[in-house]
Order: sequence, then C-alpha cells, then structure tokens
Amino acid sequence: MSYELTRRGFLAGAAAAGVTVLGQPWANVAYATDGKIVVRVDEDLQNLDPANRAGPIDVNVILAVGQGLVKFKPGTTEWENDAAAEIKQVSDTLIEFRLKEGLKFTGGYGDLTAEDVKFSFERFKPAADGSKVTYADDWAALDSVEVTGPLTGKIHLKAPSPAVWLIALADGSGVIISKKAFEALGDKFKTTAIGSGPYILKEWVPRDHFTLVANPDYIGEKPAFSEIVGKPITDDKTAQLALQAGEIDFSRIDPAVAKDVEASKGLKVEKLSAIDYVWIGPNIEKKPFDDVRVRQAIRKAIDVPAIIAAAYNGAVDQAFALEAPGLLGHWQDAPRYERDLDGARALLEEAGLGGGFSTRLTVLNKAVTQATAAVVQANLAEIGIDVQIEALDPGAYWAYGENDASKNLELVLVEYRGKFDPGFQTQWFTSDQIGTWNWQRWSNKDFDALHRQGLIEPDPKKREQIYIDAQKLMDESAAFWWITHNAYTFAFKDGLLPGILPNGNQWQYASFKKA
Amino acid sequence: MNGFWSKGSLARYGASRLATAVLVLVGSIALLCSLTLIVPGDPARILLGARATPELVETFRQQMGLNLPLYERVFVFFRHALQGDLGTDVISGRSVTDMVMAALPNTIVLALSAIGLAVLLGIPIGCYAAVRPGSLLDQVLAVFSVSLVATPSYVVAILLLYFFSVRLGWFPVLGAGEPGHFLDQLHHLILPMVALAVGWVGYIARLVRSSLLEVLSEPFIRTARAYGQPERRVVMKYALKLACIPTVAILGVGIGELMGGAVFVEVIFNRPGLGSLVFDAIRVRNYPVVQGCILIIVAIFVVTNLLVDFAYAWLDPRVRETLGRARSGGGA
Repeated sequence: MSYELTRRGFLAGAAAAGVTVLGQPWANVAYATDGKIVVRVDEDLQNLDPANRAGPIDVNVILAVGQGLVKFKPGTTEWENDAAAEIKQVSDTLIEFRLKEGLKFTGGYGDLTAEDVKFSFERFKPAADGSKVTYADDWAALDSVEVTGPLTGKIHLKAPSPAVWLIALADGSGVIISKKAFEALGDKFKTTAIGSGPYILKEWVPRDHFTLVANPDYIGEKPAFSEIVGKPITDDKTAQLALQAGEIDFSRIDPAVAKDVEASKGLKVEKLSAIDYVWIGPNIEKKPFDDVRVRQAIRKAIDVPAIIAAAYNGAVDQAFALEAPGLLGHWQDAPRYERDLDGARALLEEAGLGGGFSTRLTVLNKAVTQATAAVVQANLAEIGIDVQIEALDPGAYWAYGENDASKNLELVLVEYRGKFDPGFQTQWFTSDQIGTWNWQRWSNKDFDALHRQGLIEPDPKKREQIYIDAQKLMDESAAFWWITHNAYTFAFKDGLLPGILPNGNQWQYASFKKA
Repeated sequence: MNGFWSKGSLARYGASRLATAVLVLVGSIALLCSLTLIVPGDPARILLGARATPELVETFRQQMGLNLPLYERVFVFFRHALQGDLGTDVISGRSVTDMVMAALPNTIVLALSAIGLAVLLGIPIGCYAAVRPGSLLDQVLAVFSVSLVATPSYVVAILLLYFFSVRLGWFPVLGAGEPGHFLDQLHHLILPMVALAVGWVGYIARLVRSSLLEVLSEPFIRTARAYGQPERRVVMKYALKLACIPTVAILGVGIGELMGGAVFVEVIFNRPGLGSLVFDAIRVRNYPVVQGCILIIVAIFVVTNLLVDFAYAWLDPRVRETLGRARSGGGA
C-alpha cells in the first residue's frame, strides 16, 4: 500500500493535530484543584539539612516537614509549643523541655526522642577538628543538651541568650532531625527531608517541582491542603503570567504589577511590610567620607521619598533606623531628615569641598537598585557630587564581603535580610565584621559594647533601650542613609489564605488555609 | 561517486575536522576555567552564603577543584569527561552528567523544532519575495522579515504568553510537559518553539531571497527558460536547490545560536532545559555545572558544524570540485 502526501492532506492533518493539542482537557483549566495548591518559589531547593540550609526556600520546606521544640505562631513573631509538651526557661542559662508522646519520624526512622534533640542541637557546635556547620552562629550560646529521660532534657547555655528562642529554637536551626536517618542517609540527608511535622516531602524533581503531602502520622492539627506543589520560577514576569493563567495559586510578585494582577479575575494581592534593611552608606575609611560633615551633607541631599516613588513604585515605607517597626528595639523617635540642599552645600563648603567631587556608587544589578542609584546620582549632582554607578552581578557584588575587598568601596547600596531578634541586625555593624560584612568599615567601640550587652541581657525592656542606644550611635555617625525595610507583595487565588511570617520570606506551608 | 568522496580523502577530511573540533572543545573549557580566575566572586562563598564558615568554604573550593592550577583543572575535567563523568554539583551532590542528560532532550527538541519551523516558513517567504522582486509583496515581506529578525525572542515569548496563555488560555505557561506524555509535551513546546523560531524565519527568508535572486540570473536558468520550461519548475526544481545551499551552511551556526537563544526562552517558559540550567548555574557560580553544560553545548555546536560541512560539500558540486582539485595538487 502506498500513500502520497498531498498539500491538501498535509493541511488537513496539521489542522487535526492542532485541534487535538488545543482540545486537550487541561487547556484553560486551572492547575490547582481542591486540596492541592501550587506555589511559586523563586529558586529551587538546595540543601534540606537544617544546619546547612541555603536560604528561605529550604527552610520553609524544612519547617513544613520537621518540628522544633517550639514554632512561630502563624503570621507572628511569637512562639508556641510544637514538639515540646512543655518547655520553660529555668534560669538565664538553662532551658528544660518535655516532648509530646507519640511523635514519629517519617520513613520508618522511629520515635522522636530527647536523644534526637541532643543530636540535632549539638551538631551546631564546632567539631573536634574545628569545622562548623553553616548556621553554627545560631547556637553560639549552646553549651550542651543533657538527656534526662526518653522524652525529657535540659539545654545548657554558656551565657544568657534571649535571642536563642527566636533565632534558633523557633527557626530552622531548632528543627529536630532523626539521628538514625542522618547516620543512615549520609550525604543524601541534604536532599531527603525526614521529619515528624505536618508534611512529607513526597518528591523533589530538581529544577521542576517539589511535592509536599500531608503526613498521616502527624499528631497535631492537620494542614488544610493535602498537597502543596512548589514550582521554582526564577523570572517574576513568568510567575505573574502563570498566576493569571491559573497555573499557580500563590506567588510573590513585583509590586509594580500589583494593580494589573489584582484586576485579574479570581486573584487577590496582599502587601506585607518586611523587616529587611536597605540603605546607602560610604566607606568611612576613604576620603572625603571620613569627614562627618560630608556624610551629613549627603544625608541632607538624598531624596528618599523620591527613591521610593521611582524605584519602588511607592510600594514600600521609608525607613529611619536599623530595626524595623514591630521588632524589639525599633526606634520610634528616630530623626526624620528633610531634604535640605542649601544645608548640604554649606556643609560641603565647610569641609572644603564646595567645588564638589567625584565618587562611585556600587549596587547590585537589579532594576530596583539601579533605579535607586539613578535617583541618588541626580540628587547628589545638585550639590556638585558626580556619582558613577557601578552595577554588579550578584557574584561580583557579594565578593566585597571577602578578602577585605570592601576597602575598595566608596559608596555602596546594601540590602540585608532581617530576623526577629534585634541582635541579628546589629551584628553586621560591629568592628570585628570589618573586612567581611561591615562594608562601610564603620568602627565604634560603644556600639560594639552595646551589641555584646544586648545579646546577653534577659530583660526585654533593657534590651530595647540597648538597641535604641546602638541606633543612636549609628545616627550620630551620619554614615547610614536608610531607605526602606522593604515590603513584599503576594498574589494568590481567591479562597486561599497564605501563612507568611512578618519578615515576608518565611512561608508556613502548614498554615496555608482555605478562606 | 565523485573523487572527493574516495575513502582516503574522506578519512583525511574527517580527521582534520575532528582535530579542529577537539581543539575547540579543549580551548573552550580552558577559557572557561581561566575565566573563573578573572571573574570576581568566590564561587564557594557565593554558593554557601554570608554565614558559611571558612572551613566549609575551603571544603567547597576543594570539591570544585578551585585550589588546583589551571592546567590541572582542565586535565582532570577532560579525564573524567572521557569516562562520562562531568563532575558533581556541589550544591545538591547530584551528578552533573545526570543533570545535563535530563535537561538536554528538552533543549534539543526545542532548538530542532524551532529551526525546523524557521526553515518551513522562511524558505517559502524567501521564494515568494524572490520571484516578485521589487513588488509590493516583496517590500511587505522585506519589512516583515527584518521586523522578525530585529525582535528579541524574549519579547516574543512574553507576548505569546500574554495572548495565548493568559488571554486565550490555549497553551500552558510553565514547564516542558509531563514526561512520557507526548501530546502534553507538544502542547508545552509550541509557544517556546515559535518564540525561538521567529527571528530565524526572517533571517532565512532574507537569505533565501537574495540567494535565489542570484541563482535566477545564472546562465543555466536562462537556458532552462529558453527551453520553455514552466517558471514554477525552473524556480522549484533548478534554482531553489542551489539557493538553499547557503541556508544549509547557516543551519550549523543556527543550531548553536538557538542553543544560546534557548536560555532566555527556557527561563521565561520555565522549561527545565540546558539553557536555564546553565543560567542558574552561572548566577551562583556553580562551576562544575557550568563546565558540564558548556562542554555539551560546544560539542553540539562542533558536531553540527561538522555535519553541515559534509552536507555542504555533498550538496554543492563546486565545493566538491574545489576540494578534489586541492587533493590532486591543484591541477584540473
């Protein structure tokens, strides 16, 4: 039998194939179904070992699969019991706990016991050869964990450490792992999440998706969704289109497109103020920035509201100090500097720089940071300062944090992520961070002392004052020109209530609810 | 068969091209390794983040081979690559060979289907324009072709997604489709394929037009017309075959270009292909993955060009003749 392909036949065949493909039942049908949601994550998972996790994408899964002694209450910075039936601070350096009965690890790794707690936390201490896990600093105050029974134990601290509750116990570094699983899985432990929490990591197809399914053995409140699929989507625009096309149910979006997305049928948009800290500052070892008058002049010249309007589309609030609103140590009465070009010029004149000067502003090559730099460039041109913008890719930009490279900076725009304890924020500005993350090489012995004092002060009132005093010293230096604490914009399907902690980065998958 | 295709000459020609191909592969990887010395940013520090301890950073540097001298890194890489081992992803601990092999089919299917579509549309457009030179249709097609060439694939990708996925809901936005499910994969392929092909449609159309115009002015075409051959037959049977030869030549380059262009398209459509794999790896300076991907991309580029060279010599009698003369010492 022979078959001759005619032009008419070819066209008919092509049309039939097109109809077949377009007519598939999945066309124009939302991906999400009852009991299942699809969330967009910015990047793929990297490392599911709580002690060596790479970032928030990992920790969100680690916290969904695992349990700590305590966990954050949904959407707040307060904690509540998780695996612990009882936990109390007996003294400044002693915490006692009793585990709930019947907690089981997935994968057949047996009961969760106090031995597992000891193993999980003591991994953060330096090993015999001096090597440390990535998040070792979270448990820097840990001396030892004493097992007093199958389900009871004592956490001994080397010194008082109020931060240990929010930074370690309630966060990713407080997740209890199975000692048996860790020893059995070896190097595969970092890609296999074993826990006793509300979800099981059913599968992780690298660069495509991961799937969390409800853990049938979890003894706490069952999660609202039986399945959560995480899809790594790097590009914000793709994520927006996928939301609008109904392929995903939840995503962080670019604030600039919030109105467009909100206008889409069946989608809601929510803005969440974050606790990051974004600022511009000089390398104060470099001339002329070693002169406080020059720093004050620039602070008077920079128009932060204009930056927020131009670079952030007005979607964030202005910051006036290091600690964000809502955090312990937030400085409510921090000075609000108005733009004053005459005052700025007078200060430069006084510093002998009435004719202006040239400098370089280093930024990350993101749209927002480059727009910020452009506004600053225009602002400073008005007082005779010629700013060259150096926009670097993440690899080159973050290289300023190694090998003392920050000594080559002049002006720099920095954005750091915040945590719920104020001491996490102040640590990057101490003298011993010069050469690593104190890029401005700002050194103040009183600030260093306040930071150390804040770490061990158990009284919250006194701690609050310590951190406010520390921020006053930063303000006096005029070396930090605060822009914003950031805000995250999320879009999601009607009928979904996402569970997000107040930093905007940490998503509590088990707290995602149906509206 | 022409003398050029005798066993000896074919072997010599193949061996010389193969040697060049090996040099290109070694050179590209050596260049890549030396770039890691110049490009700012310690990969280990970037991968591990601000909180990584110096010990962990050092361990990662060793795992990535960054502590070895340049020549040793290139040597070690090729020694392992020859055994099918492209190294280990230092982040996940997965085999780079497995990662590349999982991503490669998606990119090859995308690149080949895009070039196929470009040929399928570009040649007829070029023919129509060439047989009516200077006409309104030719001018319209010229503007159309140049517009296609000038439009970046990522712009086309976003527009296609907006109209066909968001507004009409005909095609999916994300991914490459369910593995083993042909129709689903085809459904996911159509928009990225069109986005990637669009620029090449215009390019091939312009190339075929100019080439066909040149061939149509050749004496043998005049002779064919003088013999009373119908114009349609003259163009399709005699002229187009020769006019397509330059198109074949650029297809080798085209495949390489499309593998590069696939980066944007794969990122926008979230396709887990080689382009997006290398993009993600470069962002975090994951050099073992970058090296593995680059080796495969360069190898595909080199092999494709090799095949095109052979095809070119096979298709064009003038090339065969030139090479045959060169083999016999230049006398004719």
